[in-house]
Amino acid sequence: MIEAHVRGHRARDEEDGSAESSWFWQLDSRVKIVGTFGLVVVASLITRPEIVLVALAAAVAIAAISRVFPKRLLVAYAAAFPFIAFASVSVFLFSGWERGFTMLARTSSCVILLLVLALGTETFDLFSGLRRLRVPGLITTLLMLTFRFLLLLSDELERMKISRKARGFSGGRSLLDRNALRVISFTAGMVLVRASARADRVYEGLKCKAFERDMKPWRSTSVGAVDVVFLASFAIIAGLLAFGQYGALS
Amino acid sequence: MNIIEMKDLVFAYEDKTVALKDVNLSIKRGEKVAIVGPNGAGKSTLLNVLAGFRMPFSGKVFVDGKELTQSSADSIRRDIGLIFQDPEDQIFMPTVEEDVAFGPRNLRLDNIDSRVQAALRATGIEQLAKRKLHKLSYGMKKRVAIAGILAMDPKVLLLDEPTSGLDPRARSELVKLLKGMDKTMLIATHDIEAAAEIVDRAIVLNVSIVVEGTMRDIIMKKEVLDQAGLEMPPVSKLFGVLDSMGYPVETLPVSMDQAVAELTKVIEREGRHLHAHVHEHDHTEDAKHAHKHIVPRKGADDART
Repeated sequence: MIEAHVRGHRARDEEDGSAESSWFWQLDSRVKIVGTFGLVVVASLITRPEIVLVALAAAVAIAAISRVFPKRLLVAYAAAFPFIAFASVSVFLFSGWERGFTMLARTSSCVILLLVLALGTETFDLFSGLRRLRVPGLITTLLMLTFRFLLLLSDELERMKISRKARGFSGGRSLLDRNALRVISFTAGMVLVRASARADRVYEGLKCKAFERDMKPWRSTSVGAVDVVFLASFAIIAGLLAFGQYGALS
Repeated sequence: MNIIEMKDLVFAYEDKTVALKDVNLSIKRGEKVAIVGPNGAGKSTLLNVLAGFRMPFSGKVFVDGKELTQSSADSIRRDIGLIFQDPEDQIFMPTVEEDVAFGPRNLRLDNIDSRVQAALRATGIEQLAKRKLHKLSYGMKKRVAIAGILAMDPKVLLLDEPTSGLDPRARSELVKLLKGMDKTMLIATHDIEAAAEIVDRAIVLNVSIVVEGTMRDIIMKKEVLDQAGLEMPPVSKLFGVLDSMGYPVETLPVSMDQAVAELTKVIEREGRHLHAHVHEHDHTEDAKHAHKHIVPRKGADDART
């Protein structure tokens, strides 16, 4: 989720304008977190192939109506796909194609729902939503600082890439190109050193503002009618999926 | 009473590089002081020591009467507002008002709303309160960083290269803003012209204090400028040339504002008024006599008299 956020951070600037006006973006972050995680838990427990397909269709439909940018969603899904594929192929090899396919659809539906939550919510709102859902401050602050550090890393990496390109480095001729590997390893080391130096400055910046250990949200939002409708809709979808799975079994 | 007092301050990095040596410095309450000097002179280190991020190797530092030690650093930092060169390192929250409120909330100050409003007003960014920080320009981020520190109401503002990376307009707006602020300030900068506009006193630092005085005193001393790796501002150079050509320059201006004041003084003294007269010509054969006189449109008739 964090990786998807970091990847999408720059592209987001120009897209934010329209994304922020979407109904999903406007929802209270606590409601989004509870609704999405509730649906993910139910979807992850489904084993019947036809109900898993319904869950996948529901996830895709939610992604479509949430107005999360499809390209960003696809890029983030592509980043997660190797892990999904690995799990599905493993199940396919040991338990046959039906179970393998079910695993693929089930994992995909969960990942899509989580990506919609991650891409359709301001990062800080996501962490402050967790904080307001009584997740310990130490955990949410660590998550926020980790996210800040990942942004620093990505920022420094981008600068180094441009600097490498500007000096004629094109990535080497093959994966075994020793010179290219050497440059890449130096880049990685330099990125870490520079990101660490900047992280120190950010920490000093926090200390300048009397930061101790908890980054609490300041302005609190309240749950409105639209939030209730959203939560009720997600509860209905989760209920129908659970009924399809367990009601039909009984 | 001095709000900042440094006595025989010595600071060395872990690799034994001496960054500050025998620095003695006093700053009065309400005074605005610039530290100028070349790269690696120890300007930023001095600010970091004052903010309690680096501990002196020897010597003593007092802020508002409190001695800087490892244990007093946190409480001293509450009286000191350090504004970094790069605002990106100092802003954390998603919106402007959240970021400005971050410090006062950590300090558990009262009336956070009114503090935030006052800080935004003081920095001229009231209308940006709800804006996302990552969408602001560099100059505006700098203002947000300043507002975030002002909202904590520190006794002293430390500014590290405040005008670096700003376009000319943002720079002049920031200079105006800092000039109008009623705070004790210590500004580390290369920008002599900006410093001349803002500060009462300047210190040339090159590991140790080379010289101190007004900006004008400093730029008059060529050997000091050379030693400190500084350049005389273009406007001072121009008036220096005028002086050598017999133009009656009373005091060498350091900034454009001072130059305008100096010109006005001379014009008034001579009982004249300003005549904007641009004389353009080239030296080609055909255009040898093609001289052009340009006078300002407004009051052009007066100017010709």
